[in-house]
Amino acid sequence: MNKKELWEAVLAQIQFNISRASFATWFKDTHIISRNKKKVIVSVPSHFSQEWLQNKYDRIILKILHSLDNQIKEIQYTTSQPSLEIAEAPTSLPAVSINNQLEFQELQINTETNLNPRYTFENFVVGPFNELAQAAGWAISKNPGVVYNPLFVYGGVGLGKTHLLQAIGNEVVKNFPSKKIKYIPSEKFISGLVAAIKNHSIEDFKIKYREADVLIIDDVQFLAGKDKSQEEFFHIFNALYEKNKQIALSSDRPPKAIPALEERLKSRFEGGMIADIGSPDFETRMAILKTKTQERRLDFSEKVLEYIASVVQNNIRQLEGALNRLAAYQKLNSQSPDIQIVQTLFKNLITGSTKVANYKKVIQVVSEFYDIKQSDLLSSSRKKEVVRPRQIAMYLLRENLKSSYPSIGRRLGGKDHTTAIYAYEKIVKELKQSESLVEEINYIKQRIYSSLDPL
Amino acid sequence: MKLLVLKENLNKGLGFTERVVSKSLSLPILNNILLSAKGNFLNLSATDLEIGIRYWVLAKIDKEGKIVIPAKVLASFIGSLPESKISFESINNILHIKGESFKTKIKGFNPDEFPIIPKIEEKEFLELNSAPFCQGLAQVHKYASLNQTRPEISGIYLAFQKNQVQLASTDSFRLAEKTLLLEAGSEKSNFQGQSLILPQKIVQELINIGSEKKGKLKIYLTPNQIMFEFRTKESSQPQLQLISRLIEGDYPNYQEIIPKKYETQIVLPREKFLNHLKTASLFSGRINEVKVKIDPSQEEMEIFSQSSEIGENQSLVQGKTKGKMTEVSFNWRFLIDGLINIQSPEVSFELNGEEGPAALKPVGDPSYIYIIMPIKAS
Repeated sequence: MNKKELWEAVLAQIQFNISRASFATWFKDTHIISRNKKKVIVSVPSHFSQEWLQNKYDRIILKILHSLDNQIKEIQYTTSQPSLEIAEAPTSLPAVSINNQLEFQELQINTETNLNPRYTFENFVVGPFNELAQAAGWAISKNPGVVYNPLFVYGGVGLGKTHLLQAIGNEVVKNFPSKKIKYIPSEKFISGLVAAIKNHSIEDFKIKYREADVLIIDDVQFLAGKDKSQEEFFHIFNALYEKNKQIALSSDRPPKAIPALEERLKSRFEGGMIADIGSPDFETRMAILKTKTQERRLDFSEKVLEYIASVVQNNIRQLEGALNRLAAYQKLNSQSPDIQIVQTLFKNLITGSTKVANYKKVIQVVSEFYDIKQSDLLSSSRKKEVVRPRQIAMYLLRENLKSSYPSIGRRLGGKDHTTAIYAYEKIVKELKQSESLVEEINYIKQRIYSSLDPL
Repeated sequence: MKLLVLKENLNKGLGFTERVVSKSLSLPILNNILLSAKGNFLNLSATDLEIGIRYWVLAKIDKEGKIVIPAKVLASFIGSLPESKISFESINNILHIKGESFKTKIKGFNPDEFPIIPKIEEKEFLELNSAPFCQGLAQVHKYASLNQTRPEISGIYLAFQKNQVQLASTDSFRLAEKTLLLEAGSEKSNFQGQSLILPQKIVQELINIGSEKKGKLKIYLTPNQIMFEFRTKESSQPQLQLISRLIEGDYPNYQEIIPKKYETQIVLPREKFLNHLKTASLFSGRINEVKVKIDPSQEEMEIFSQSSEIGENQSLVQGKTKGKMTEVSFNWRFLIDGLINIQSPEVSFELNGEEGPAALKPVGDPSYIYIIMPIKAS
């Protein structure tokens, strides 16, 4: 007779000796947790049951046990709390509160892994712009440490990098509950390291990360220039990599474009799979808007959504902001906004974006990107390191601001309009041939537009 | 059992014990109080199998013994008596009660049927003044989550440090934290570094008891149970013991929620703020939304609420302002809940934009803080 059968036999007999109410109260959730030759340990749900069984029913239980197995001489009772196992928090998404009351996000976060359960693959909208990253992430979460290690995801602000990384973590938790997962923004990693150095607990710090089965670090570009952090991270990276532990990273730019990052780290980042997340295309923006409206139980006409999708182009977070605005309008006026109203609501958004992406901004970003002085860019100097950026600036002014060639030439070093035409055409031609230039230009464009915040 | 007891003392004890008695249908014995006479004391015990209470009344005992009596009947009956001296005698599970002008019999039950309240080893303890402790609990207990899906935040968190105790609770929309300093006399404590989660029910009882009983309170702790013990000055016998299980689990690291800085601050007279909120609440509609707008150049805060069915209301409160202009929506109920537990005449209201946590702090009292999340933009 095994433990379970033995206890069932005891319960079967004891129910005749006591009232139904007491039986239900005192014997609920009891069971034998261990048994050796002479001694049986019974687990009970509360101290009240423990006292009661010990003092009132000990004799009779022992008698029954003894009659079932005459070697048993002793019973011990212990309290365990089964109620906690039953009340295990549901892992499903918390219901979206209807009245928009915000919650402390910190409480949703798993204290062990740092993951926020809100981010999953299920609510990650896939489109051509993030297909590759999503597929790679999905593959990793099915098979951590085996394929694509490390995974390096990069893309502009508000495009879903954090969502994807956390979704990987959450999916691994689901598929492999025993695996240790650590999610940490690089900023926290750095401050954690600083604190560890201060408290002389650097060993504990290292161990914490080296024990992870999946290490996810968000926004690694912030490691730039932090030499000590880079060094520690390098060692942790190697230790994990050698043991075939999965590493996933994100950044706002590709590894080679991160300034002040040590070569050895760069090359390691590039050693696995690099996937970029671009700007969503129109269809995906529509899909995102539709998912969001469904999630939040809002209802807007197709036309309105199409309009928003056509106006807000570069940033998913802004799409959400636009929806918030509509929702607020709907609530205040208790009517769904029609297309005219939406157009006026978002008027400043359109004019706003063209206003900020001006000539000054382009010059500023280009000179920052190539690390040259603005005055050099505007001079007529023909130094090699200035000429190339100037050509790119010319291209961007023509392409994005539709400036006239003569005005471009005049502004950049007082050149002739033919110089501007030559520069523009040269870059257009090169763009067709060089992938890296496309990337470079896209990155500059992103920088120009990411500082726009029309909402 | 045979004894003589003073009505007043007994009545007080019954008041405390009766509150714990449960209205259990499945186990009717729990609707009763166990009376047991021993030594110089009559002991009253009650339990709902969550928490247990024991109360000792000084009595002249002629014959020791026990009986179980329905709580409600006994308490109402004793409460109605004019006399001061009452005699009890139990014969065959019937309680005979006599005074100068009356003679009563109440049917009781077999005391052996009554649940046994778990014993706590009286080894580790901490002694503190009951009044500030219970008042501190009263300032935080209301905000614990009622939702049982996350048991750890359904209770009140206590963290013992070297010379202070931190009390905290949250329901994920708001959070309150109170810091109590331990007086120098309580150095016997070896609780330092320990933390625990108290179920709401025991906290409610503690607040209720603490509002009447001044003096010292002793806390005994075992890994999953806790006992609170109140004594009187006159006797070495404890007067009241409350026993409860503790909630298992890790309390979330709530310190991270407390904002370290603010974008906008306004210092307001508490009473006025409260009254304006109450007025605004009349127009807030079903989701309890009121909007506050602070323009630092104006040294005032505007409170605005509107409902499509009722109408709208707009009012101004003057206060000292700092930081940048802001407009944030809140559930007025949550704001009022926080203000009610602040005693200072002035309160500092600190905001962090329309989706960041805001704080209410009593001016001049750093021991209390109340954090509240806004309602999302509208």
